[in-house]
Amino acid sequence: MKKQLFTSFIIVISLIFISFFYLLITERNPSEIRSNLINKDIPSFQSKSLFKNKKFISSDEFGNEIVLVNFFATWCKPCLEEHVYIMRFAEREKIRVIGINYKDNSEKTKLWLKKLGNPFSDVVIDKNGSIAIDWGVYGIPETFIVNSNKKIKYRLVGQITEKKYNKLMSLIKKTK
Amino acid sequence: MIKKIFILIISVICIQFYLNFSYAIDPEEILKNSKQETRARNISKNIRCMICQNQSIDESSASLAKDLRILIRVKIKDGKTDKEIYKFLSDRYGDFILLNPPLKSKTIVLWFLPFVLFFIGIVFIYYHNRKSNKT
Repeated sequence: MKKQLFTSFIIVISLIFISFFYLLITERNPSEIRSNLINKDIPSFQSKSLFKNKKFISSDEFGNEIVLVNFFATWCKPCLEEHVYIMRFAEREKIRVIGINYKDNSEKTKLWLKKLGNPFSDVVIDKNGSIAIDWGVYGIPETFIVNSNKKIKYRLVGQITEKKYNKLMSLIKKTK
Repeated sequence: MIKKIFILIISVICIQFYLNFSYAIDPEEILKNSKQETRARNISKNIRCMICQNQSIDESSASLAKDLRILIRVKIKDGKTDKEIYKFLSDRYGDFILLNPPLKSKTIVLWFLPFVLFFIGIVFIYYHNRKSNKT
């Protein structure tokens, strides 16, 4: 009895240590939280479009193809750094990218996109951050993969790097 | 004299800890209706700041925390219940946004593992002591 008890105690403690060290060595960002909207329908929203005179209505714009939704702002440095990859998605891979301009100055955004190039099929203005809250956004930039059934398949928090770009591309290829 | 100064210092420290004011909240955020404001504060204290993560939105001065505090107040004014507000937030940000995670099948280990470990520890100490007493 005593021996069994001691063995089970050692097993439990070992499992705790193994889990702890496994989480320590695996490549993960503890501050990156999985979106609660994965495999759920996109939150519906409508707002002003930066370049078009009509309102952007989400229900009319999603559902035909795979779309990337990128929350960005001109005041956010990582957004500037990742812009080259957003351009690559749009120009080289011909993927539709919708930009959500988070709490920004519209005139500044227009100049910013003129200077860096505009990869977005639409730029939606999120003046008070309410669209971002509906999408569960907590850090700019964030990029979502939305499939042709209007379902969110993946959320990337933070700047797109070469490695993350490749990951996003492989996920897009797998997404139906 | 030294004793009096010591008591004074200790009293100031105790008062400081007791008056645990939050400075994150802006005066313009505060609702005029004190009952509604109390509800908003209580909800805010239970909502995690997704940016700081170890603070509630009531204590955090992050921009998102402020947006969520305002949103909670708007929802209270709209007549939403506390449960509806918590659901609204956890639907978007997951249970992680709640500082008190609900008891669900997914969180059962989180809630009960400490008790299980505590029990194992007690049993282990009991047998260990019994063995020691015999020898």
